[in-house]
Amino acid sequence: MAEDSGLRKKIEKHLLSIQKPSRYIGGEVGSVVKDKSRVDVRFAFCFPDTYDIGMSHLGMKILYSLTNERENYWCERCFAPGVDFEKIMRENDIPLYALESLDPIRDFDFIGFTMQYELSYTNVLNMLDLAGIPIFSRDRTEELTQIVVAGGPCVCNPEPLADFFDIFILGEGEEVNLELMDLYNEMKQQGAKRIDFLRRAAHIGGVYVPQFYHFSYKDDGTIESVSVSDGAPETVTKRIIKDFDSVYYPDNFVVPFTEIVHDRVSVEVLRGCIRGCRFCQAGFIYRPFREKEPDTICSETKALCENTGYDEVSLASLSTSDHSGIDPMLTKLLEYTEKERINLSLPSLRVDNFSESLLEKIKKVRKSGLTFAAEGGTQRLRDVINKNVTEEEIMNTCGIAFRGGYSSVKLYFMMGLPTETDEDIVGIAELAQRIIDLFYSIEDRPKGRGVQVSVSCATFVPKPFTPFQFEPQDTREMIEHKQKLLMDSVRTRKIKVSYHNPDVSLLEVVLAKGDRRLCRVVYAAWKRGCKFDSWDEHFRFDKWLEAFEECGVDPGFYAHRRFEYDEILPWDHLDYLVSKEFFIRENRTARQNKTTPNCRERCSGCGVNKRVGRDCF
Amino acid sequence: MSSAVMRLRAVFEKSGRAKYISHLDLNRFMLRTFRRSGLPVWYTEGFNPHPYYSFALALSLGYESSCEIMDFNLTEEMPLDEVRDRLNAVMPEGMRVLSVSEQRLKITAITSAEYSFSLVTEQPEELYAALQELMAQPEILVEKKTKKGIKTVDIRPDIDIVSCEKSGDSVDIAVRLPAGTQTNYNPSLLIGSLRDFCDIPFEEENIKRTKILCENNEIFS
Repeated sequence: MAEDSGLRKKIEKHLLSIQKPSRYIGGEVGSVVKDKSRVDVRFAFCFPDTYDIGMSHLGMKILYSLTNERENYWCERCFAPGVDFEKIMRENDIPLYALESLDPIRDFDFIGFTMQYELSYTNVLNMLDLAGIPIFSRDRTEELTQIVVAGGPCVCNPEPLADFFDIFILGEGEEVNLELMDLYNEMKQQGAKRIDFLRRAAHIGGVYVPQFYHFSYKDDGTIESVSVSDGAPETVTKRIIKDFDSVYYPDNFVVPFTEIVHDRVSVEVLRGCIRGCRFCQAGFIYRPFREKEPDTICSETKALCENTGYDEVSLASLSTSDHSGIDPMLTKLLEYTEKERINLSLPSLRVDNFSESLLEKIKKVRKSGLTFAAEGGTQRLRDVINKNVTEEEIMNTCGIAFRGGYSSVKLYFMMGLPTETDEDIVGIAELAQRIIDLFYSIEDRPKGRGVQVSVSCATFVPKPFTPFQFEPQDTREMIEHKQKLLMDSVRTRKIKVSYHNPDVSLLEVVLAKGDRRLCRVVYAAWKRGCKFDSWDEHFRFDKWLEAFEECGVDPGFYAHRRFEYDEILPWDHLDYLVSKEFFIRENRTARQNKTTPNCRERCSGCGVNKRVGRDCF
Repeated sequence: MSSAVMRLRAVFEKSGRAKYISHLDLNRFMLRTFRRSGLPVWYTEGFNPHPYYSFALALSLGYESSCEIMDFNLTEEMPLDEVRDRLNAVMPEGMRVLSVSEQRLKITAITSAEYSFSLVTEQPEELYAALQELMAQPEILVEKKTKKGIKTVDIRPDIDIVSCEKSGDSVDIAVRLPAGTQTNYNPSLLIGSLRDFCDIPFEEENIKRTKILCENNEIFS
């Protein structure tokens, strides 16, 4: 066990006066403690939200274990403190620290954030501030230490964060993270300066050093050009793991004492997605589609269950039922989990390939409701977004589920999709009603219970690296009209409708599609006290509007304007393997209400296979 | 369904970082500990089978203990030391099983528990005197939360100061208080009363349960 830093006593003095103190002291089963005198590179893996949320994140678990496999590297965890503890930290000069050593993260070599959602951006600034690390990259020391990096889906357009980070890591981190640390270790021993390291790091595939890229803008506010300095490459290409079946996967997780959001073993079954839903960023940025063998999945499940003691396993993927070996996989997994009294849960099932035998299997493992992402209320709109699900399939699946004893169904929709009309909104209510009618038409439906259809409507957020990246978001007025229309179209209490806050969606789209001029806004918003923007009770839209105002930035320019096909987009110099031509083609196809088949049926030429140098199927 | 062939009682230590594990979290923690250990623990029967284990007394968040008691059953015979070692092999820092034995007395036999703690102060002499004076009172009334609401009780007859020593910057106390299925007093009741009774600033530290006792102040086992 490493020596305690002086911080421990200071922290413990206050722990009993705050909520869930075990989140702030480490020592969990599975946490990795090393002797820091024998460690060359220290990495603080930071999740810009609270422990309960961050500890649920699979990517952190993978990269944590992977880094710690290397004897001379030490990866520790760090989370945003809750508001109560932050106050105590600030009042008592407790800097942000990592949970394993309880050492301040400002003394680390790498401070790495995972950017999972746009609404966590202000938390990054707040955490850097709590750590005593200069918030702007340009203000940091010239010495080679305190390199602030970020990865995760949001860094596919990292420009609204560009001023705060030294490095963005694009794509999958299993290889590039270690390459970056190796280079750092080598250069640190040579006594190199920060800038020397950044210049060389920029030549590692997937490494984007934003300070070497310079934007100029036209009078109309769009991007004129991006120039590159310091010998950095013109475009940075994301990293992928070629041999996914044999990629490193941890055989142990840190097991929290306190309950977290996803408190279970999580086993990744596939990466990428064959579907190509046009709104879905994950469906494009994680391409190509790669699967793990059922045997690999089973042995990883077994190792994790034995080492953590969890009695629940969840299969992680974008669409588990698209695994080509789903049936043998589940048969094998259930053999083990039933014997060991482990619950198996399967999120991310699709409506269209939901067979009766599959339902039989999942019935054994969960008794709660079923959730379907229908996304659009009419077939025309579902075709536009390429959600290749027909009403017949939805009805079939619901029928199977009702006959199988289910009586509640949750449907996810989006509002404000491209080409959407009032008819599509009314269609949501009509679809929900037909599901109710279906329930009562089934002879052997569950008795003694009423049917419940929950409709959850999010506001559509166009995202970079999707065919809808060019699209504007509906204005607040348009969304409010559609919400009212939907409420008026629902005539039974068996249908429950819920919405997302449209102000939140507006901020999401601005931060998702924004350029480097947004950095000042993020900073100004944080200065005004914005943090935990994804939490209803903390979200302060008024403060954000003030920040936009102060910086002279019009959120509508990013949110409600159509980005032209020939416009230089803020993320055009970043390469996620799918070509821009493909996105333009898909955008046009969408406008003709036409679908594109899934990748297994037919290759639609997104470009990934050419770039990777092999066919996906 | 296998039946319980060994009815066991573990005495375990909860110290250091582990003192921040709440009682609710301790339940979940033990479930996973048993699963990691691979011990043949007996599961409850019924609709939702789960490993059976039961804690004799709840321990307040932030208290350490050298004498926590947990009962559980095994479905196979096994040397007691092996049971202890297999649990310890999968326990984190601060949690340690000290012994495993057959269950002797029923949990209902528990009558009291002993605690030790320090009151850190710049005026140990005065605080020591204040405590003596408090204990000399005919009654010490405190408000205690019960299921029926707040009621006022006299805790004086039930407080048994085992030792009380003053040092350079603290008063170190060992106290025996009622515990078990009927009445449970927590050292914070006494500490709170002392704080109300005198104006000497102090902070309590290192509260630790040191003994769980049954009739005649014998160690419960």
